[in-house]
Amino acid sequence: MKLLVAGVGKDYLIPVIDSVSFHAEAGEFVCLLGPNGCGKTTLLRIVGGLEPATRGAVLLDDQPVVAGDAHTRRVGVVFQEDRLLPWMTLEQNVALVLRPLGLPAADRRAVARRHLRLAGLAGFEDYHPGRVSGGMRQRAAIARALAIEPDVLLMDEPFGALDAQNRRIMQNEVRRIWQETGRTILFVTHSIEEAVAVGTVLVMLSARPSRVRALIRNDVRAARAALIEDLNTMIMEEVERQQGGASA
Amino acid sequence: MSASTGRARSWAARLHLPTLAALLVVLGAWAVLSWRYGAYVLPSPLAVVAGLGEIVRTGEVWTHTGASLYRILVGFGAAVALALAMGLAAFLSRLARGVVHDALAVLNSTSVFVWIVISIIWFGLSNWAPIFTTLMITLPVVASNIVEGVENVDRRLLEMGDVYRLSGHQKFAAIVVPSTLPYLVAGMKIGFGLALKVSVVAEIFGVTSGIGYIMNYSREILATQMVFVWALVMILVMMLVDKLVFDAVSRRLARWR
Repeated sequence: MKLLVAGVGKDYLIPVIDSVSFHAEAGEFVCLLGPNGCGKTTLLRIVGGLEPATRGAVLLDDQPVVAGDAHTRRVGVVFQEDRLLPWMTLEQNVALVLRPLGLPAADRRAVARRHLRLAGLAGFEDYHPGRVSGGMRQRAAIARALAIEPDVLLMDEPFGALDAQNRRIMQNEVRRIWQETGRTILFVTHSIEEAVAVGTVLVMLSARPSRVRALIRNDVRAARAALIEDLNTMIMEEVERQQGGASA
Repeated sequence: MSASTGRARSWAARLHLPTLAALLVVLGAWAVLSWRYGAYVLPSPLAVVAGLGEIVRTGEVWTHTGASLYRILVGFGAAVALALAMGLAAFLSRLARGVVHDALAVLNSTSVFVWIVISIIWFGLSNWAPIFTTLMITLPVVASNIVEGVENVDRRLLEMGDVYRLSGHQKFAAIVVPSTLPYLVAGMKIGFGLALKVSVVAEIFGVTSGIGYIMNYSREILATQMVFVWALVMILVMMLVDKLVFDAVSRRLARWR
């Protein structure tokens, strides 16, 4: 599904997002980058319809996203925390979100098991979240998001709580799942290495109130080291600007 | 070797051996004091055991315990039902939540004796007096717990429910009920203990059955040992219900932890 973010801005007590515009074709893997506190998560929540924008509009296949509206598009969200229900097994957690789609119980089970297997959780279907590792919980959350076959998958620093090793494994998993399913993904991260490793389009936001500082296509493997270097320089400049702005 | 002493200690703890040792000391002191002050003030432990055997043999123990438990179940049951309704109202409407909070603050501050006197005026010398008293005293305890549980439902889980377009009913069944249940069980555990203590007091006035009635009657006919016997019955009922009902329910609820 095609994603268009047109002049989106958000004010809380202070303006957080000034005006952000970018678009992504269906099947793109968009990474949102920027200094902490520049409104990456807020922008993702606006795209997901969890929060209204102060200015501008978000269009999914030319249909506007309205916060709180019961629209028919399927949006899967993976939050920073897993947000699994601790009293349900992993399978029940995934099957739960299939209920609004009107699938019969047997199909819900089958779909849930298939997506848990896709996320590398075969054999753990009947475990409760408290009994598996943080990495496995986050995989289950990803399986849940994918089980509804979302038009757009929103991921908000989904691997922030994982150690370096699990992070690398999960990045490869998500990249693989993205290649297999062809979903449009919007992925928020503060790690430049992560963004360069998984994204096809990198959107670098500026310091607060944020705008798009740079929009980079990431498909040339050879230039990766230089790209990481450039992005690191950019983010340091923006962090300094934001902190300078805060102390002034 | 440390493992074997550790196991010995855990066996000792499981059998409550330290508690039993303390109990022996208390029983010894009780026997001495009873001998010193006489059976009217403090009957001997043996007289209490004999009394307990007596009421079990005649079946009197079931009559009065049954009468008390019946009143508790009706009064406390009504309190739980009302508390659930209040919790549901607090969940559905912010306005109702404020009213429920204020009402509970008032009920929490009302003395047992107020309800005993009022229930005698309203219901006379009948079963309904202790039932009503039990209802009014346990309602705020159970309801406060449920309302607290409803307020502590994780907003982030509800937001997850919104993201995946769960209906209000689905969110209620999958998220609100399971996260409120531990609060409900905790409230019911405290509430039931309170119900037993309160209904027995209310039974002193106006009814002719129940543990409270028979304790007061025993005092009037100077059968002090029977006062102790019935106190023991009350304690046993309380501990049994705690172990058999509430501990089992709590364990079942905590299975996923």
